[in-house]
Amino acid sequence: MSTAIRIEDVNKIYKSSGGREVHALSHIHLDVRQSEFISIIGPSGCGKSTLLRILANLDQPSSGRIHWESSADHIGFVFQDATLLPWKTVYQNAKFPLEVKKLDTKENLAKLDKLLELAGLKGFEKAYPRELSGGMRQRVSIVRALSYNPDVLLMDEPFGALDALTRDKMGIELMRIWNETKKTILFVTHSIAEAVFLSDRVIVMSPRPGKIDEILNIDLPRPRTVDVKETPEFGSYVKKLREVLG
Amino acid sequence: MSRFRLIGEYAVAIAILVLVWFVYAIVFDVPSFILPLPSDVGRALIDMIPEQDVAMHFLVTSGEVLAGFVLGTILGYVIGYLVGKIKLLEEALMPYILLAQTAPKIALAPLFVIWFGLGFVSKLVLIISMVFFPVMLGAMFGLKSIDYNLKCLMQITGLSWWQKIVQVELPHSLPQIFAGLKVGMVQAVIAAIVAEWISGESGLGYLLIFNSTTYNSPMLFASIIYTIIMGILFYALISFLENRFLFWHESKQIVRKS
Repeated sequence: MSTAIRIEDVNKIYKSSGGREVHALSHIHLDVRQSEFISIIGPSGCGKSTLLRILANLDQPSSGRIHWESSADHIGFVFQDATLLPWKTVYQNAKFPLEVKKLDTKENLAKLDKLLELAGLKGFEKAYPRELSGGMRQRVSIVRALSYNPDVLLMDEPFGALDALTRDKMGIELMRIWNETKKTILFVTHSIAEAVFLSDRVIVMSPRPGKIDEILNIDLPRPRTVDVKETPEFGSYVKKLREVLG
Repeated sequence: MSRFRLIGEYAVAIAILVLVWFVYAIVFDVPSFILPLPSDVGRALIDMIPEQDVAMHFLVTSGEVLAGFVLGTILGYVIGYLVGKIKLLEEALMPYILLAQTAPKIALAPLFVIWFGLGFVSKLVLIISMVFFPVMLGAMFGLKSIDYNLKCLMQITGLSWWQKIVQVELPHSLPQIFAGLKVGMVQAVIAAIVAEWISGESGLGYLLIFNSTTYNSPMLFASIIYTIIMGILFYALISFLENRFLFWHESKQIVRKS
């Protein structure tokens, strides 16, 4: 499999308000493969969101380089809250990037319809965000992030604000969408079980300075169903990650 | 259904007011120049239309209010946007803005007459100054209250400055702007009338003064009623626009559910 993103020795140093230097990221090396699902896990302050923000070009690394196989601005971003525009309908929200980028061709809009269907939003196109549940809102934001067909999807704790049941369902939904679209996904989470269930690889980070502690390959067969969570292999991955995280 | 009920409630409230007024004026035998009978005022309302050319005066005042309103809103949004965007501008201008905001701008009316003359311009400037501040503050706070993630989304999606305004920043600020507009609307009507007292030869403010100095109480009362009607029309206009543009906002949801 070819490389999608090569992260080379990326460092990020912030000046805190007290003038103290904060080492948010330290010597981050990572090769992200095409169509790979990577989860990044670690305690608060380990720099996992900073890494995502740098990849999204919302922030610049202090040193180091990021090589993109495709164009660097071809990323989609999903936030912890859905960040929908309340005055736009589901459809208008999903279409928003296409419209702004003037890519709302007939062909792309047809693809958007497919995405909406894939995310289970068919029939809700004319609803407004306030009329939707948290899970549905987040699905709209995932469709929005995928609408312009980015190569890489960056997700910053996207299910963090959802209840446990919805969260599990969203994981399965995301698996399905990933399966269909073959995107490269970087997924920041706090949940070990979620990371194991979704990922090809799990990156464990530790704080001060934020660095990669461990990269764990998850060799569970795909496609995965909820039943995989009952297997001993799943349990041992979870156990291993719990040990690394301390 | 609920709309008819609302109109009904207002009709009853006005009917009671008129009845109390009627009974009071008759029982206490109040002189007509102090408190004319409602029937006299009703007649004056109609007689005024040809005799004092109410339609023209009504249009003059509402024209001033409307022009000042539109210009004040545009100016308020533009300045509020710039102040909200540019930190330096905010630091430089905020003390003046707060000073001007708290000053009673009616006090400036005589000054504007000296500066801009007795005509349309001085009235317009006064009305603009009334509408400008609440709208400017609304635009500024609306802009500043944009969620951090939403800003990131705009950057990732690659919105131009104009797309940011049209797609996100302006609609996001609308609740605050409308709150400002409602305050500004009341102020603008007051400003128009006061300006006409000072410098007017036309407008509802002029009619008030004219009928007051000629002791024509029924027509003075009728003039007051015309200013109230104008205020209600402007309020209805803003409410209409608000319902049209803010249908998605939390504040509108309670009304919709009933």
